[in-house]
This record gives sequence, structure tokens and C-alpha cells, in this order.
Amino acid sequence: MAITHILFWFLTALALVSALMVLLSKNPVYSVLWLVAVFFAISGHYILLNAQFLAIVNMIVYAGAIMVLFLFVIMLMNLDKETEPQKDIWMKIAGAVSGGCLLMVFVSLVKQATEMTGKEALLKTGTIGLIENLGKALFSDYVVPFEISSVLFLSAMVGAVVIGKK
Amino acid sequence: MNAIILSALCGVVMMFSGILLKNKSAIKYVAIAALLVLILGNFLQFYGVYTIDIDSKGLLAFDRTGLFFNTIIFVATLVYFILSGSDMERVGPDVAEYFALIFFVLCGVTVLTSFNGLLMFFIGIEILSIPLYILTGSDKKNLKSNEASLKYFLMGSFSTGILLMGITLIYGATGSFGLQSTTMKSAITGFSSAGILAPVGLVLLFISMCFKVSAAPFHFWAPDVYDGAPSVFTSFMATIVKAAGFFAFIKLFAAKSADFGPGPAWQLILYIIIVATLLIGNITAVFQQSVKRMLAYSSIAQAGFMLFALYSTNEFTKDGILLYTAAYSFATIGIFSILTKMEDYSLDGFNGLSKSQPVLAFTNTVFFLSLSGIPLTAGFFAKYYMLASAIKGGGSLSLVIIAVLFAAVSVYYYFKVIQAIYFKEGVAATNTPITSNFKVALIVLAAIIIILGIYPTALLGFYYF
Repeated sequence: MAITHILFWFLTALALVSALMVLLSKNPVYSVLWLVAVFFAISGHYILLNAQFLAIVNMIVYAGAIMVLFLFVIMLMNLDKETEPQKDIWMKIAGAVSGGCLLMVFVSLVKQATEMTGKEALLKTGTIGLIENLGKALFSDYVVPFEISSVLFLSAMVGAVVIGKK
Repeated sequence: MNAIILSALCGVVMMFSGILLKNKSAIKYVAIAALLVLILGNFLQFYGVYTIDIDSKGLLAFDRTGLFFNTIIFVATLVYFILSGSDMERVGPDVAEYFALIFFVLCGVTVLTSFNGLLMFFIGIEILSIPLYILTGSDKKNLKSNEASLKYFLMGSFSTGILLMGITLIYGATGSFGLQSTTMKSAITGFSSAGILAPVGLVLLFISMCFKVSAAPFHFWAPDVYDGAPSVFTSFMATIVKAAGFFAFIKLFAAKSADFGPGPAWQLILYIIIVATLLIGNITAVFQQSVKRMLAYSSIAQAGFMLFALYSTNEFTKDGILLYTAAYSFATIGIFSILTKMEDYSLDGFNGLSKSQPVLAFTNTVFFLSLSGIPLTAGFFAKYYMLASAIKGGGSLSLVIIAVLFAAVSVYYYFKVIQAIYFKEGVAATNTPITSNFKVALIVLAAIIIILGIYPTALLGFYYF
């Protein structure tokens, strides 16, 4: 087993355990901190796939900026056990059933998909994730969606001003 | 390409007009002028004149249906601006920004009518949704509006997550964002030979799109959001945005040729969803006391009819969805423009409208008749084309019978309003004086609906020639 395989399995286990802990933690602040761990584990996967740019952006934007904002919001809201809404037992059962159905679909998907059997992620190889190739693809083949998404961000900015202004 | 770029530019122009113009009604006229330019640009492209031509590397493909749908949407927006533009001034101080956001939504619509792959499809859906979250919450002092906005945002983001997961699985199966690959085709026409990644991905896409068009089991957000949002913006969301969602939905599943549409496995799913949507939308609408909430449920019910366009794809389908969009949008925009002028949104608020405002009463009746699909109004042929396409597709007579039964149910709750207008005593108070321009616009709109009802080829003739 090469070092990349060991790293891969370690990061996978870390991501899954942290994701579970996000749901299972009683305290929302711990949930957010576990979520940061998930993002770091996924960034590690990106590095293994030789996609450094994606890994760094994921770390800066998600684990850094967005999660810190999350943490501030949760701290300011001062959530504790008393303010937590009590959920109906039927709601919990319905949620468990529908979530279980989705889980079943995904598990059988991973088990049966012929597209995925016997294939391995491109560890250490592949150059598409390098910043040079990514930039070239973004500004040649995908330049139209790149430019059109600016409309999306502009509308989000206008919206933020409309909502935030007195 | 004309329409995509022009609509984004119009949005920017509206943003600047908010700084330069202090007079609010002047902003409305700037918006109408900008929209006319947009219609002209789209019209030129429809007849093959490309003022702006960009190589999109196969990510966008413009066809006549999409461009014609753009025209219908823009004309409906023009009607909406003329009828409801002045009501926007009463929502809040940022009128220019509201218009700008509406133009950005239109940009999303134009992307959705011309996407040629899942990447542009996703961007289009997002450009369509983000401004709506803001418009829903634009009445900042109103707690219901805030709640609706937050609810819409959370549910919408969640469904976007499902959409992205679907796109990821399809990308894994086909290795591209394109819709024309054989794997995609076999996943749509029948599950068996398509492997497993692509069908599961398509199911996730399907769920997310059902959410966006508020088809039943995914409709729970719609009544609260439509009821909580300021009425002017509910009008826009329930008509133009919904129709665009349907168009993208159909384009996704019935991509190119006429013989290529959802297979038997999909038809079973669609059958269940259509019946559930019609059932929940119509039956719940019967019990509503507020006309605005009733219209929210009725828009769910209308979504059930529009889903027929997906159920079977043949030559009736395209005509049907174009006509349905026009008929449904015009009628609903008209009803909402009258509703926003009313002091009281409940059924009793309409009592005796025929005495105090005969023009409003008459046009409102025409709009409701069109929504319920009475002959001689545009709604009749819209429903006719939808049902005809299902019969022509074959083997689904039971679905058509169910749909006709629920159309009869819808007549009941639409006529409750007409009854209140004509046969009940009361003083239907309006919150603003009704101008004669508004009345003229309503009469013109009602005339268009009746002309389309007698002579539907007036609209479709443009499409074919």
C-alpha cells in the first residue's frame, strides 16, 4: 500500500466521521468546527487528485471565510437547549425513512454502477487540476458561462444592498 | 445571444437610473423603454439578425422555439410592467433595484431557453432564483414577507444542492455536460440500457425541477412564499418565472427531436406527480378564504396541467406550452394587478366590485374564465392542446379524464370570486384611485385573451412564419 493510498483512506475516514459528528453534536458551535474538519479532509482529497488550486480555494473560501462567518452568527444567536425547537416524533420518523431511502439509492448506486467498478481515482497524476490548465479551460472553452455567471453575482450584490439598506 | 446580453445590460441601466432619476414613475418608463429594446433585440434574432454574435463553444444553442418563448415572456413582462409597475413603488423605496432584479431574472430566462448542456442550465436556474429570494423579502417591515423569503431561500438552496448532485452523477456517467450523448438518451427513453449513474442523476434533476415548478410532493414552499411575498412580485413569480422553469424542464427531458421523450418509466412517475399536483392544488384551493392564497394553490394546480407537456412529446406539445404560457401568464398577471389594488384580499373584499368598478369587475371575470378554461378564452385552447398531446401520445386516457374532472373543480373556486363580484352586496374598496390608463390596459389585455381564445393561431402563426 503506497503512501497515497494510506492518505486517501485516512482522509476518507476523517471526512465521513466529521460529517457524522456535524449531525450528532448537540452544541451547534461544535457542529461548525466539525464541518471545518470535513472541508479540510476534502481539500486533502483535492491535493491527492493533483488539483492544488481547488484545494487552496476550498480551504480559503469554505473552511476560512464562510465557516468563520457561520461561527460568528451561531455565537451571536446564542443557541442553547431551551431555544432549540422540539421536533415531533412523526417528523423524525418521516425524516429517517426518507433519508434512509436516499441512502439506499446511493449505496446501491455505488455497489452496482459498472462505470465505477474496478476504477480508481487518478491519484498523483492528471494535470487538469493545475491552475494553468484550469485557467486555460476557463478562458477558452468555458468563457461564456464564466462571463454569464457575473450576472448572477451582480444580482446577488444588488440584492444584498436592497435587503441591507435601511 | 442578443437577449442574454441586452437583458443583463438593461438590469445595469436600471441600477444607474436609480441614482440619476429621483422621480419614481420616470423609473417605470425607463424600464418599459428598456424592455422594448430587449423585445426588439430578441425579435431581430428570431428573424436571423445577430447584432451580437459570440462563439459559445457549443454551450448555447438558439432555436426558434426558445426565441419565440423569449418573446412571449418579454411581452408578458411588458404587460406586467404596464399594469403593476406603479404598485412596485408602494413596496419599498428601491424601485429601480426591483426593476434591475427583474431584468436579471429575464436574463436567467433567456439562458434557460437556449442552454445546450447542464452547465448553462445550472447557471440559468441560479440567475433565475437568486433575485427572486430578494424580491420575496423586499417588504422588509412585514414579518410574513421576511419569513417567506427565508423559507424560499433555504428550500431553494437545498433543491439546488440536489440539482448539483444530479449533474455530478450525470457527468460521472457521460463525461460531459452535454445532453445529446447516447447514455443520456437511453436514460430518458428507458432506464434499462443506460447503466445506473445517469438514471439516478436524472431522478435527482427531476426532483429538483419539480421543486422549482412547485409540482406536488415538492410544493410545500409555494403557498407560503406566494402568500408572503408582496403581491406585485407574487404575480411575477407565479407566471413568468414558473413558465420559464417549465420550459427548461421540458427542454431538459425532451431535448431535441420529436420522437425523443420520457420513456414508460418516466411516464409512470409523471402520471403520479400530475395526479398528485392536480389533486392537492385544486382541493386545497377550494377551502381558501383569501384570494391571494387561493391563487397560490391554483398556480400549483395549473402546474399539473403544464406537466402534460412533459408527459408526451409530439407536435402538440410545443404549441401547447407556448399557448399555455401566454394564456396563463396574461390572465394571472391581470388578476394580480387587480388584486394588488384591493383593500381586502379575502373573498368578501371583492363583494360588490361590479357596482363600484364595472371595468375591473368585467376584466377580472374574463381573466378567471380564462384560467378555468372556459371556451372563447385563451385558457380553453391552452388546456385543449395539453390534453390533446396526451391523447395523441396514446395510452393515457385515464389521466386526461382526471385532468378534466379537476378542471371542473377549478371552475368552482374561480367562480366563487366571480359570484362575490357580481352577486353579493358590499363595498369593494380599492387602496389607490383607479386611473383610466389602468382600465384601458386591462381592457386591452382582456381583448387579447378573448382573441387568443377564438383564434389561437394568431399567436402560433408568428411561431411558424
